[in-house]
Amino acid sequence: MSEGIIKIDKQKTSTFLDKVKEIVPDGNLNLCLTCGACSSGCPATGLENMDPRKFLRMAAMGLDDEITGHPWVWMCTMCYRCTYACPMNINIAALVFEARKLWPRETRPKGILGSCNMALRNTSGSAMGTPEEDFRFVVEDMLEEVRADQPGWEELQAPIDKQGAHFFLSQNSREPVTEPEEMAPLWKILHLVGADWTYSTTGWGGENYCMFLADDEGWKKITNTTLQTAMGLGCKVYLNTECGHSTYSVYAGQKKFKIETELEIAPMVKYYAQWIREGRLKVNSDWNKDLKIKFTVQDPCNQIRKGWGDTLADELRFVTMACVGEENFIDTYPNKSNNYCCGGGGGSLQNGYKDARFYYGRLKHAQIMETGAPYVITPCHNCHAQIHELGEHFGGGKYRSLHLWTIIALSLGILAESERTYLGPDLAEVNLPGY
Amino acid sequence: MNLQKTTEKTGSVMVVGAGVAGIQASLDMANAGYFVHLVDNSTSVGGLMAQLDKTFPTNDCAMCVISPFLVEVGRHLNINIISNSEVESLEGQAGAFHATVRNDPRYIDIEKCTACGQCRQICPVTAINEFDCGLDLRKAIYIKYPQAVPLAYAIDRSACIGCGLCEKACLAEAISYADTPRRTVLNVGAVILSMGSSVYDPSGLDTLAYGRHPNIVTSLEFERILSASGPYKGHLMRPYDREIPEKIAWLQCVGSRDINRAGHGYCSSVCCMYAIKQTMIAKEHVSTPLDAAVFYMDMRTYGKDFDKYYTRAKDEKHVRFIRSRIHTIEPLKNGDLNIRYVLESGDVQEETFNMVVLSAGLSPPPSAIALAGRLGIDLNAYHYAQTADIRPVNTSREGIYVCGAFQGPKDIPQSVMEASAAAASATETLADVRWTQTKVRELPAEVDFSGQKPRIGVFVCNCGINIGGVADVPAIREYARSLPHVIHVEDNLFTCSQDTQEKIKQVLVEKGINRVVVASCSPRTHEPLFQETLREAGLNKYLFEMANIRDQNTWVHMASPAKATAKAKDLVRMAVAKAAYIEPLPQVMLDVTNSVLVVGGGVAGMEAALGVARQGYQAWLVERGHQLGGMARQLRSTWQGEPVAPYLSDLIDAVHRHEHIQIFMETQVVHVTGTIGNFTTTLVTQDDEGKEKSTVIPHGAAILATGGHEYAPTEYQYGAHPSVMTHLEFDVAATKQDNRLLSAKLAVFIQCVGSRSAERPYCSRVCCTHSLKSALWLKTINPDVQIFILYRDIRAYGFRESLYQKAREAGVQFIRFESENPPVVSLTPGDPSEPNSSRLSLTVTDHILQRPIILNPDLVVLASAILPNENKKLFEAFKVPANADGFLVEAHAKLRPVDFASEGLFLAGLAHYPKTIDESIAQAKAAVSRTMNIVSKTAIMVGSVIAVVNPERCAVCLTCVRTCPYGIPRIDPEKGHAVIAAVECHGCGVCASECPGKAIALKHFTDEQINAKTDALFQAA
Repeated sequence: MSEGIIKIDKQKTSTFLDKVKEIVPDGNLNLCLTCGACSSGCPATGLENMDPRKFLRMAAMGLDDEITGHPWVWMCTMCYRCTYACPMNINIAALVFEARKLWPRETRPKGILGSCNMALRNTSGSAMGTPEEDFRFVVEDMLEEVRADQPGWEELQAPIDKQGAHFFLSQNSREPVTEPEEMAPLWKILHLVGADWTYSTTGWGGENYCMFLADDEGWKKITNTTLQTAMGLGCKVYLNTECGHSTYSVYAGQKKFKIETELEIAPMVKYYAQWIREGRLKVNSDWNKDLKIKFTVQDPCNQIRKGWGDTLADELRFVTMACVGEENFIDTYPNKSNNYCCGGGGGSLQNGYKDARFYYGRLKHAQIMETGAPYVITPCHNCHAQIHELGEHFGGGKYRSLHLWTIIALSLGILAESERTYLGPDLAEVNLPGY
Repeated sequence: MNLQKTTEKTGSVMVVGAGVAGIQASLDMANAGYFVHLVDNSTSVGGLMAQLDKTFPTNDCAMCVISPFLVEVGRHLNINIISNSEVESLEGQAGAFHATVRNDPRYIDIEKCTACGQCRQICPVTAINEFDCGLDLRKAIYIKYPQAVPLAYAIDRSACIGCGLCEKACLAEAISYADTPRRTVLNVGAVILSMGSSVYDPSGLDTLAYGRHPNIVTSLEFERILSASGPYKGHLMRPYDREIPEKIAWLQCVGSRDINRAGHGYCSSVCCMYAIKQTMIAKEHVSTPLDAAVFYMDMRTYGKDFDKYYTRAKDEKHVRFIRSRIHTIEPLKNGDLNIRYVLESGDVQEETFNMVVLSAGLSPPPSAIALAGRLGIDLNAYHYAQTADIRPVNTSREGIYVCGAFQGPKDIPQSVMEASAAAASATETLADVRWTQTKVRELPAEVDFSGQKPRIGVFVCNCGINIGGVADVPAIREYARSLPHVIHVEDNLFTCSQDTQEKIKQVLVEKGINRVVVASCSPRTHEPLFQETLREAGLNKYLFEMANIRDQNTWVHMASPAKATAKAKDLVRMAVAKAAYIEPLPQVMLDVTNSVLVVGGGVAGMEAALGVARQGYQAWLVERGHQLGGMARQLRSTWQGEPVAPYLSDLIDAVHRHEHIQIFMETQVVHVTGTIGNFTTTLVTQDDEGKEKSTVIPHGAAILATGGHEYAPTEYQYGAHPSVMTHLEFDVAATKQDNRLLSAKLAVFIQCVGSRSAERPYCSRVCCTHSLKSALWLKTINPDVQIFILYRDIRAYGFRESLYQKAREAGVQFIRFESENPPVVSLTPGDPSEPNSSRLSLTVTDHILQRPIILNPDLVVLASAILPNENKKLFEAFKVPANADGFLVEAHAKLRPVDFASEGLFLAGLAHYPKTIDESIAQAKAAVSRTMNIVSKTAIMVGSVIAVVNPERCAVCLTCVRTCPYGIPRIDPEKGHAVIAAVECHGCGVCASECPGKAIALKHFTDEQINAKTDALFQAA
């Protein structure tokens, strides 16, 4: 890679940027004022001596050779924080996405590639390759366990392939494969509100690493399978588990690939908030009145900035405060749609550039430390994992990440001992179900 | 005052919006023979400018500069201020419109209110002070600011609890809770819209945290913080804890040049300059060192003397200018604000500031957009009034004109210029009904008191209880009775009220009073009123003296009534002592020559001559060359893309054909004598055989539009290769469809060639726009051409920003270079046997990649500077000054942008400063309007408060010549002493106080008068 003189050919040839402009005509890629707002706000600025402005500038100058194969494209999480403040609304993430395609498929980061390939192996859509029937087995097995071990939950349901259910629920593979007990709190919540819901065996996987791999075909296939399944079951709402990228992959994929559907594609948090407001989910924060344990939240970029904006961010806070008490909620800053990406997005958890990922996450870490909260509620699997790791790496375990379902179930007094893996000792015995 | 609707042409006009532009337009038209209805939806006039602390680039106090204009417009016999009102509809057509105006209640009778402020003191309700941008509180009954015109209170009914206390307190009985909206129909011949701008509200930009933290303020809020009349009385403090900040950041382009969150694609034109101003003023306000950092994209200091101002801030005041747009402001717990930003090198910096100022852009007020809708005028994509470049103040509806920031974001001088231009355009078709609607005050002849001893009348005002509630007014009155020459004393509840005025007139006549002293409030607000009363009673208005026993006494010594009474006596004694010596100052009437000389036959000169002629007066147009048209002959199109050639040929044709224009080609001005209203100029014309012929022209005013020309570059291989050309050469080549342009595969534009250099430290203003426009044209004829624009700052101000955006959209690449590291153009020799076969090569360093870029252009266009035309002799003949760069110097950079300091002389076009055609046209029309204040009259009054020279004491030392800020005194070689033309003197008194021989006296402030006053001060009461 040459850092030297740039020679511009007199004869204009089609460049990488030209191609991207054709693919993303509304990306404003020509409009750059080189003002630097993007790079000022980007946690990946400086990694590999690169930043969003420089990357776009290189593309604009036709330095395609230097862009091709540049590792920075995997370090950028495509979180859109650059675009959020860009005066010209330039879609840099789209440029990075297309630049990922400049890598021959087999040379792209192994972890992401592997996860995508796994998901394409069968129709489950699971990045862990878990086949359809294995999923049914795990769910039923887990359900049996809860019914048997947890008094009062003998009637708990975890429907699969239920025709006509209102909600279609996807499921991130992490729970069924590595920690099935983590599925139970959400089932209980759904049970309490009387939701008519179903899993499916086909297309149940709530993740999409093909999107991160910039494999449009794969992305489309997974999104299509899961949406077709939901439609086939006659569902009305496509409900994503607490997973940012999966929500976005379906939400954005449906539009990008023009998949016709009347399904409402919704993030889980929206319904938690609705059910609390309707009085169907009777959470309360009395358990924390004296404990005064502090909580903060992480706004997943894929759901908030790239999805439903501050409206959903406010819902996330509403739900959190309802569960932990308003006085025990401490917000980060910047937050909501202008939140810093934690560094776990864009496939980075599997891209192999671990040091870069921690460097990226340093701003998120500093923000969390500033709140002093020992718990970060993260309604997203990638955020959850990254923040968990940040806490270990930088913070010496000073904070832990939690799914929202954990804290909802805790506040309802229905969180069993076995479902408290992510809670610290201070909450190990708080508000245990009274059996 | 509902009028009968008529279909006949009327000599009344309506101006909507009473900011600085509306005021200027009103004054121009009222002084040129039209009756003006000035409508504003606020309780007082003054607009945005009244809220500003200082103005760039002179750092003048904004209120001090605008205040005399407020007073003049407020007292003008032919300006009817209609405050608190909205224009609801406009029927009829140009010449005969019927405007329906809704006058909203202010719940105070303006006629009765004396602004004594008693109501405010008693009002129990506090409300947000919008004038101080909410940084302060006011009462529910309020006056917008102390200098407000009309000077009357208003009740904010949204805050008022209706307790009735003010009604009981108001001795003038001005409160009227039952007030309801009234509608009035006005017959007007033309309408000028000058509704101005509102300041962008950054609350919607969450990343900047405005509204979440008190130490993040808008630029307008910061103006109020700096202002001596603002919430902190001019002490620089941050709102959060009233600590003095040590580090402040300014963020540029907030709500401007942002199509994403703000939805404003344009540049607000003024923010770079006001931010620089604020950094410098802020530094002056604190005794501790203040670190000021300005974060910006392009520094747009494109106006006259703006670049020097920028350089001064950078080099002398050590303001840090950082080229980086801020993504997010992070408030910290202690009130500080954290900013993380990236340099062009890509290095990330983090800094903590005590305060952040958001340089908020301008946007059209929603009420103005709504009004435009009701009037049916076209708006542009940004909701500003749409105008064409060749008709810069005409809206889409005939008879409706626009000026100021509602036409597009702009600064004060440009607004004032356009205001005068709009005044000229609006009245062009009303010339035949000039002076038909104006009022003339019928006054009795002045009584001659010469030879009489002083007979002084003293009127002491209680000002409700403002004075009488503190000082012992009867005691003051009786004290006055004991003073020499006093033959009448009385005290009044309000000396200024209408009924008292009538009584005073009677007393003056009955008792034969020949000197009047009023002991009340400030002469700033009330002297003209009392002088008018004197005049109506047949006294010369200078037989008047005032003692300010309120503002400077009872208001400041409220807690010490005895001392206040004693001081009031002192002040009255002093006023009476001076009054004994004051004399009548009669004014002399001088006839006016009703014609205008215009020098320069370019666009500005021709527009000026045509404007004068269309107003019905003779214009003499002088051009030293052999053809009309000036620089515009070479230009292809205006910035909005209107072709120049057809406009120019129509203009030349119109100038030739107009019966009121006489053209002198190949003619020079050789001699000028006379003063305002009556100049005599000698012209010398060269005929075909080279013989010279002299013509002597009498004229009442003159407009200098002597133009400019393009700098001939010595840089970048200019002259060494045919494909290196200047802007104008590019335009000419484009018109000829030159193959150098058509066949170019790679074109490079280099900006600032000869501008912003040590030799010419100014920005040529037009070049960025011209390069953008030219690049876009090249792209339209050949979409595959690669274009690079090498620049220092892209200064596409206002809506010109849209060209910059279009150029980027079209793929034009922009590379920024530092003046220390300019691009290098070199020639590679070609075939020696073939002429012009050498090839161009260019190297420039990319500002982001920080790597050299090599280009092999086949076209290089140089944005060469604009220079003023060389006219030393001409300028000397008119005695008008040019600055170090050779541009003519206007009377005042802010409010008199087309006037020379010497009365009766005006300027327009490139001779003033580089500008685009639309701006030249506007300035030329503005100059026309300014001359109408003179030539539309048959006579002008001169004299009164002026400096007079005692020839016997004059030692011809030149002190007066050197110190006069207006350049009026001169030495008459024949008479052998200094002469100060009565008609030109501004009466400032500088020469009188500086003259070492005491040869100059300022009338009404003579040594005798001042000494009498000071002697009286030291006499024991």
